[in-house]
Parts: sequence; structure tokens; C-alpha cells
Amino acid sequence: MVSPVIPPAGSSRAAGRPAEAGRWSAAARVAASVLIATYMAAVILPPLAGPPPASVLAGRLLQPLRPLVGGLALGHGYRFFAPNPGPGHSIRWTIRRADGSAMSGTIPDRDADRPRLLYHRRFMIPEKIAALVPAADAPADVRAESKREWRPLVEDIAAHLLARHGGATVELSLVEHYLPTPEESIRGEQGADAVTPLGMYMSVDTARAAVVGVVPRLTGASR
Amino acid sequence: MTAAISDGVRTAGPPVTAVSARSPVAPAEQGGAAEPGFAASWVAAWNAFWFTPADPLPLALVRVFAGSLLAWSSAVWLLDADGFFGATAWQQPWNVWRMNDQPWQWSWYFVAGSPAAVRLLAGVTLGAAVMLAAGIATPLAAVVSLAGFISGYNRAPLNVFGFDDVLGMLLVAVVVGPSGDVLSVDRLLAPSVRAGRPSVLANIAIRLVQLHLCVIYIFSGCGKLLGGSWWEGTALWGAAANVQYRTLDITWLARHPLVTNVLTLSTLWWEIAYAALVWPRLTRRLTLAMAVPVHLGIGLTMGMMEFGLAMLTANMAFVPAAMLRRLLGGRPPRP
Repeated sequence: MVSPVIPPAGSSRAAGRPAEAGRWSAAARVAASVLIATYMAAVILPPLAGPPPASVLAGRLLQPLRPLVGGLALGHGYRFFAPNPGPGHSIRWTIRRADGSAMSGTIPDRDADRPRLLYHRRFMIPEKIAALVPAADAPADVRAESKREWRPLVEDIAAHLLARHGGATVELSLVEHYLPTPEESIRGEQGADAVTPLGMYMSVDTARAAVVGVVPRLTGASR
Repeated sequence: MTAAISDGVRTAGPPVTAVSARSPVAPAEQGGAAEPGFAASWVAAWNAFWFTPADPLPLALVRVFAGSLLAWSSAVWLLDADGFFGATAWQQPWNVWRMNDQPWQWSWYFVAGSPAAVRLLAGVTLGAAVMLAAGIATPLAAVVSLAGFISGYNRAPLNVFGFDDVLGMLLVAVVVGPSGDVLSVDRLLAPSVRAGRPSVLANIAIRLVQLHLCVIYIFSGCGKLLGGSWWEGTALWGAAANVQYRTLDITWLARHPLVTNVLTLSTLWWEIAYAALVWPRLTRRLTLAMAVPVHLGIGLTMGMMEFGLAMLTANMAFVPAAMLRRLLGGRPPRP
């Protein structure tokens, strides 16, 4: 007995006609099959090749498909809320102007970032930065190595904020919002958020800033 | 005897136990002659799976929803087009390689030299998406929509998430197949040309969505198996207690740990089993029905309704065309 596997979505048999696998010539079917197999490989290999833990073999098989994967934006891991749903993050910023005034804000801003999809697109900024920033108690060499990855991205965020709001310097920090346990939630307790300085940035080239935007330089401490 | 590959669509026609000569069902079991070889059976199954003409209605519905979601997404990109795609965006163009695989992840925003050009290109995507949803010049609208979508995705890797992953999958399908053959302005303007006949390309396009969706669920489910909270059945609490995501307060779950367990484990095992259970007729309806509370639940409680709708649109690829026609009050397409 063969399992009743169904290919749905309205084959012609839905209209009382027999299946037809042969409307296309054999050559057309072979050509289409090669394209289909290539596309499906470009769909299946990226989540096998990353994020870690990932298969080295999948990574190597993926190499010749990189133009297709990149060209169609297929390089996804699909590990939604994995391995565990963790705490949420935001970035706090404070801009100081030459006249001594200051303004501050957060990314994302629940009140200002509407509609919700706009909020979510900005919410992804701290979430993706947080994925690159190690814990404060991580070994020094790990923190130094990761800093090379996240600092250029944070510099871009700083430059954007300075270009948008004006100002001489901007100070950024990553906030990991405390995730209460069920018991703490019942008791109404809320732990402290973990705050990690991301540095203070300033515009050092006002002439260039006027043309192509602010060029930030890291001047403060960061982990 | 049930066909190894059967229709899955109950119609007024003859029972769907009959199969073509290319069916992998052994002819001997049908009173036939020689049994086809192993390789021939695989070729026949492959051909039947990919190259059987299909009603374009499911693909057209995918087009309507995908186009609408892209139009909404494009409108939201436009609210801060300079911030996402411009020269002083959240991520500078020359730093995109740090998150993307350059030069392959192309984007037309890389060559946009001014804020006006950025907004124009974002507006082109919005216009194409509206046309796609309505089915106006559908093939062209589909290609431009996909190009605009990819350009946004590849230019702003700091700002994309699961919704975009799924939307891209849907847009590839509407480019591949004749998604404008029904439920479209194109069809109204040229009913004889676009008769909505069964099409092999419609079948291929919807198959791509089906298989891609199975890949998404497999990796999403297996990725969760790396985490202890999913095994313990407490993971859902992590989502409920996350203030950054929350749009509906369900922290009352703290007092009902067994409910949290049921919701967590049912979500986990449904995702893992999806690729196996969505194909057999016996379990398909249950599998698809489960998608509704899972994705609407995520949408309502965690503020990701667009992601939920995109996933439900993809799930629609598994709904038989005849059922969709009954729901829409239409007739089966002419062969």
C-alpha cells in the first residue's frame, strides 16, 4: 500500500482530467529540472551553512551558488527564536551639541516608531548589534575580536543620528532588557537591565560632513 | 488502492484513484504488465510532481497577498527611505559587506546618488507592488517588485527580519508562474488571452513555495532543538515576557505553566513535523489549521502581523485549488 501523498494546488485533475506530465518536451523538462534543483539547493544549503553550529560541507557546496543566493536574497538561517527566546535589546543615545544642549532617545522608540512595521525594522538594529557584542565578562581577546565586527556598524548608527539630529557628539549604549522569570512576574519583581557602553562618537571632519554626511570617530571607552 | 501521487482535490468527476501511465504505482497492482524500474519510477514521480499542469488560482492568490504585503512594506520603507537606503542611513553603503555576501547581494540603492533618487526607487517598488497585487501588467510588475524587494533587503541588512525572508520566497514564485492569469486586471482586459487554463509553470511556482515553506519549518524547528527552553516547554514565556516584542500582554501565562508547556511543545513539534504531515491527505488539514493560531498568535502578541500573514499566505499554497474555487464561488478552469 502506498501512502496517499498529495500534490495539491489544483492540478488539472481537479477538473476531471488525467494527470499530464508530458506537455513539455523531454528537453524542456530536463532544463527546467536543472533550474529547479539549482534553486532548491540555493534554498536548502544556506540554513545548513550558517549560523553556527553549521556544516562545513554545506558551506563548501554553497560556494558556487553564492551568486544565486546573494542575487535572490536567499541566504537565510530560518532559526526564528532559536535556540531560545532571549531578552530584548535597545540602544540608548545621547547627543550633545556645541551650545551645551543635549537630547536623548532610544532605538527603537515605541512611541515614535509607528506603524509597528517601522518599529520592528528599527528594533532589528539593536537586536543585530547585540548578536555581535559579547557579554561583559567575556575574555578580553574575545571582546577585542568582536569589537572589530560591531564597531564599524555602531559608527554608522552614530553617524546617522548625528546627521539626523545634528550635534557634536553622540554617546551610545546597548541595553539588554531584563527578562523576568514567571515567578518574578507573579511577584511583580523586575530585575535591572544590563547596560553596555558602545562608545562616544564625534564628527571630526565637518567639511566632509557637509557633503557626504558625518564621519564619526570613536573617542570614548567601549567594551 | 490509493494513488501514490493523487490529486487531493475531491471533485464531481471520477474518483481520483486513477493514475497516469507514468504514475509510480506499480502497474501490476492495477492489473497491468511489467513493473517499471526504480529509476523510471523516480523519473515518473518527479515529472508528475513538477510538470503536471495546475490551476493558476492558488498562485494568483499568493500574488494578491504577496503584492499587498510588499506594497505595505514599501510604504513603510518610504517613511524613512533615507534612513534605510540613503547615504547617511543606519548602515553606510560601504559597510554593508560586513553583514552581506558582496558583491553578489546587489541593490539598486547602491547607485542611487541622492535622497531624491532613493525615494524614487523606493516609490517604484511601491508602484510595482500595487500593480502586482491588482494584476496590472503582471509579469513586468512581478519582476520589478522582486527587484525592488531584493534591493531593499540587500541594502538594509540591519533592518530586515523573518517577514522579509518569507516575502522573498513568495515573490520568486509569482515571477516564475502565470500569477496574473486569474484574479487580475490583466484577465479582465484580455479574458481570451488569459483564460486561466491549467499550466505547468503555475504548478512549478506553487511547488517552489511548498518546498521552500517545508525548508523554513524544518530549520526553524530543528534550530529550536538547540535550546533547552524549547525542550522544557518554557520557551513561550521568553517571548511573552519580552517587552520589546510585546503588543498583547500574555504574562498571565506565568500562573499557568502547563498551558505554556502545551503551547511551546505543540509549536515546536508542529514545526518539526510540518514537512512530513502537510503532504498526506489525512493530516494536511490539521497541519494547515494549526498554522492559523500559531502565526496569528505571533502576529497579535508579538507585533509581527506582517510575518504572520506572509507565512499564512505561503501555507495557502497547500490548499487545493478546487477548495479555493469553492470558497471564491468560481468554476474550475477549462482545460
